[in-house]
Amino acid sequence: MDPLSWTGAVGAILNPALLVVSGLFIVAIILMIVLSFFAPPVTLQSNADGTVMAQGGIFGLVETAVRGLLFALLAVIVAYVVSGIVLPYGDAGIIGAVNKQFTPVWISLVVTFVVSIIYKRKLGIYGKLFDNIIGMVGFGLVMFWVFTAIYAGVFDMIATHDPLSQVSGLKNKVPGVPVPGADVMAPGSHYLLGGDNLARDVFSRMIHGSWIVVQIAPLATVFAFMVGITLGLPAGYFGGKFDTGLSFLANLVLAFPVILLFYLLVTPEMVETGIPSYMAAVLFIFPLIFALVLLNSRYHTQPALRTIILAIVLGVLGVLYLSLVNQAGTVLHFLPGWLDLFDVPGGILVVFVSVVFVNSPTIYRIVRGLAMDIKTRDYVAAAQTRGEGPWYIMLWEILPNARGPLIVDFCLRIGYATILLGTLGFFGLGLPPESPDWGSTINAGRGLLSIYPHPALVPAIALLSMVLGLNLLADGLREESLKD
Amino acid sequence: MSDQSLADQSPSDLDLNGEVYDGPILEIDKLSISFFTRLREIPAVMDFSAKVMPGEALGLVGESGCGKSTVALGVMQDLGVNGRIVGGSIKFKGRDLNTMSPEELRDIRGSQIAMIYQEPMASLNPAMKIGQQLMEVPMIHEGINEKAAYQRALEVVTDVKLPDPKRILNSYPHQLSGGQQQRIVIAMALMSKPSLLILDEPTTALDVTVEAAVVELVKDLGKKYGTSMLFISHNLGLVLETCDRICVMYSGEAVERGSIEDVFDKMRHPYTQALFRSIPLPGANKNDRPLVAIPGNFPLPHERPQGCNFGPRCDYFEAGRCDSQDIKMAPIEGDELHETRCLKSDEIDWNAPVVAGETKTKGEIGDVVLRMEDLRKYYEVNASSLFGSGTKKVVKANETLSFEARESETLAIVGESGCGKSTFAKVLMGLETATSGEILLYNESIGNTPIEKRSTKTIADVQMVFQNPFDTLNPSMTVGRQIIRALEIFKIGNNEGERRTRMLELLDLVKLPRAFADRMPRQLSGGQKQRVGIARAFAGDAKIVVADEPVSALDVSVQAAVTDLLMDIQREHKTTLLFISHDLSIVRYLSDRVMVMYLGHVVELGTTDQVFSPPYHPYTEALLSAVPIADTSVKKKHIVLEGDIPSAMNPPSGCPFQTRCNWKGHVPGGLCEKSVPPVRMVAEGHQIKCHLSDDDLASMEPVIQIAAE
Repeated sequence: MDPLSWTGAVGAILNPALLVVSGLFIVAIILMIVLSFFAPPVTLQSNADGTVMAQGGIFGLVETAVRGLLFALLAVIVAYVVSGIVLPYGDAGIIGAVNKQFTPVWISLVVTFVVSIIYKRKLGIYGKLFDNIIGMVGFGLVMFWVFTAIYAGVFDMIATHDPLSQVSGLKNKVPGVPVPGADVMAPGSHYLLGGDNLARDVFSRMIHGSWIVVQIAPLATVFAFMVGITLGLPAGYFGGKFDTGLSFLANLVLAFPVILLFYLLVTPEMVETGIPSYMAAVLFIFPLIFALVLLNSRYHTQPALRTIILAIVLGVLGVLYLSLVNQAGTVLHFLPGWLDLFDVPGGILVVFVSVVFVNSPTIYRIVRGLAMDIKTRDYVAAAQTRGEGPWYIMLWEILPNARGPLIVDFCLRIGYATILLGTLGFFGLGLPPESPDWGSTINAGRGLLSIYPHPALVPAIALLSMVLGLNLLADGLREESLKD
Repeated sequence: MSDQSLADQSPSDLDLNGEVYDGPILEIDKLSISFFTRLREIPAVMDFSAKVMPGEALGLVGESGCGKSTVALGVMQDLGVNGRIVGGSIKFKGRDLNTMSPEELRDIRGSQIAMIYQEPMASLNPAMKIGQQLMEVPMIHEGINEKAAYQRALEVVTDVKLPDPKRILNSYPHQLSGGQQQRIVIAMALMSKPSLLILDEPTTALDVTVEAAVVELVKDLGKKYGTSMLFISHNLGLVLETCDRICVMYSGEAVERGSIEDVFDKMRHPYTQALFRSIPLPGANKNDRPLVAIPGNFPLPHERPQGCNFGPRCDYFEAGRCDSQDIKMAPIEGDELHETRCLKSDEIDWNAPVVAGETKTKGEIGDVVLRMEDLRKYYEVNASSLFGSGTKKVVKANETLSFEARESETLAIVGESGCGKSTFAKVLMGLETATSGEILLYNESIGNTPIEKRSTKTIADVQMVFQNPFDTLNPSMTVGRQIIRALEIFKIGNNEGERRTRMLELLDLVKLPRAFADRMPRQLSGGQKQRVGIARAFAGDAKIVVADEPVSALDVSVQAAVTDLLMDIQREHKTTLLFISHDLSIVRYLSDRVMVMYLGHVVELGTTDQVFSPPYHPYTEALLSAVPIADTSVKKKHIVLEGDIPSAMNPPSGCPFQTRCNWKGHVPGGLCEKSVPPVRMVAEGHQIKCHLSDDDLASMEPVIQIAAE
């Protein structure tokens, strides 16, 4: 069994092509920058018959060339991906084999994009995203990891090995190394991106790490938003002492050294006193309050309907909340076992608490500012003059109209939370040490970084691409929400 | 150059190379401008031609979205990334602006062509002193030194009639009032003695009396400096007062062009005619001579009809002719300078009298519904905002407000910004409580009851229609949902179905198609949104509706329709309408009684006829004179008030109006500065708050006179 090279057989054609095209592309870009200083500007020439002509073309010519070369570059990259998927395992090298593993993700991405672009005019702000290149790239990156996480976490596809199992002899081996004992060229016969210092498959660990990140980061951000919104709206709407007090508290939390807070939360002595559990109990009740106030303000004019709706929501969310908070072995253990639907591992609970605690003050300030702006609108005055309660005005008149900036911030904040997750993992906080999440993996790989960079580099690139995708998505959404 | 006095040298007789030039200053020929969106090309201006001669003022009028501002931006060659000139030429002093390089354009902008925008605060750099901003202009364009530039700034600021020019040059924009800021913007435009001044709605953001003074100034300066002007406005009256020639635009095209007299008195385009019929001129009356609204809606730029753009809304439309061909601008027979874009201009009988729409019977005015007794509303403000200590200052937003309003009566409340009309509305609605005094609704006191404590019935009885149509509806809820919510709150209907039926009836009431129930507010035009706002206010069968400038943000042709709608609903429901406005034309048209407010005081109150004819309160007199009227046969007495409205934080002693009053000299002994005048009854139901003697009041002449025809 031979080790895999990076590009395999197709490299003979594609590698030189990539080299030539990218070289030309760089030359054209430099030319364009130089020309922008010298070339005559494009002006209009009006003709006698009332038509107008554009003058001055050399700059336009270079622009066209740059665009053409960019497309050629993209075509070469697509060729790498497609050849990997189409050719049999191993023929297109490591890159081909990795892409082959990602086949379901690629198919899902193509389907998502085609369907979205066809129906983009009917899809509101989501559809408008597909008019924006930046937004589309960002969305593509994010969805790549979301699909990867779902296929890996739910269907157990994509990954070639178990993220925790070790194969002796593959410790710190370079990418493309064959697994001892495998004799057929098939997925699983190589460690595609090499082995780490415990001889586990780096590729599979990265894949499984995505599932952890995609599960925790958005959910934690949602909780942070619930807290920020539930406190920020009344602070902005009522103002006065309430606002002053809460804002002071928010500043206090923001000024607290975050790293110290994390260490405090996971110190066994602290866990014993139950402080993390109490914090969780307080922070996690906000979504419940939010939902109840939201529905009550809307339906209080129809008492019968209101009572039914509130009872159902309180029942469902209440049980979820109690199960979340209640945990054997901590101070909060009061539910009978049959009612405790699930247990969240202590480490993850700490991750949640810290993400919410660190992010909610910032969200609080954004929401407060938006509420102060929107409460001066006439439709708020109209609601006041027909005698609406303050919570209806806040949640149904103000909040929906603040959604634009909040959606953008939500995307950015998932990015921050992902990095925070990495940071926590890096310090060995929160998640168990053998967890394949990206932060922990980077931490594990850093020791031998100068000799064997790949165990740390692979999850680092994954983390980078996902956060970059979220930031680009946020940029695209912001740009599109400003239009029209 | 710098030591010459400004007025000596007329800039317009030199061309761009410094040689003598006496052709037209600006010549726009067949100009077409389009904006490119990701969906399509949107033509904003099509086949537009105009000419401005030296020293001439050309008025460009039209409704919002007709492309008049785009023409101005096209002249400045400042159309942004999406806009592009797709045809025609714009010649400035004989040279085509389209073919100029960015450097050449930069030289011309600000020195040869200057532009004045609508919002003065947005045109000035808030972080720079006024003097610095003014001096920059000649220093950049003419390279003169700082000292000479300062001299010129001082001169120009004196020219725009600002008091204490040296202090003004040394202050920041936020330290000046809106009127003063706009004067500075005008001064800045004049700093480099431009040949062409483009004014894009320069007074829309100002109060009427301030507007009158600014318009006066622009007119004088135009004469003094010999500057040509392109005056863009939606207000026909303003154009009549300032311009020599006028060009009427509709949906991206010029439809009629000619001298002021030609267009105002001998209009030859159906749109111009319809426009004049839809504005309330003196003589129009809500019962005998109602306004004629233009039917239909303004076409969207990408949905313009074939042939004549005005076709679908035109009374004289002839299928197969008006919609079959592109219509060109053509001179009117016998008058080469008067052009129109209408095929039938020769056939229409332009002198035919207005087909009087059905005359409407006046609603019976019934019992007193609402009574204000000596209402006062004071706000306490901390004089030094830091730490909240120090002396408290009292802002008297409403002072001794007493009046009553009857069933199916329209009471107009007139006044400029800061007069306390919005505070009064807030107190009436219960958003604030009165400091002292009583508000009696059906003999029940509600003045001290905040809205949370009012009964559903009281809340539903007193409702409000807001000013800004783009702000009055929640943008993220469907129109139907918002009306249904009001019904839910007012406890009308037993279930969702009943409320939905009632909501559809309300849409019928405001003459909107029922299909609008499922639309989002952004899909509606301004007038349609305002109708929804009216429907929502009437959801609980309101007895009293406070309409806070409900039509001032709408286009003229839509104003008429919305006003008539309000009147129709009032007749049907016997509603009491409190109509807050600063537009005296519309007030005269629809109100039964008028209350004039100034700095929290009611200065005059009477029936419409009493208030609009002498004796006046001096403020009413100035207000009447300030309102531009689009009728060449109306002769107005010319009264310009000095200065700006004082701040309510720091009101003048004695009579609130004494700082600007032209009649102050008639009252002996400085009484005006010492004591607030008492309320005097000058006739049955007509009260005036003034120190003037009966003789002086009797000597007043009518401000508006309609010349005998």
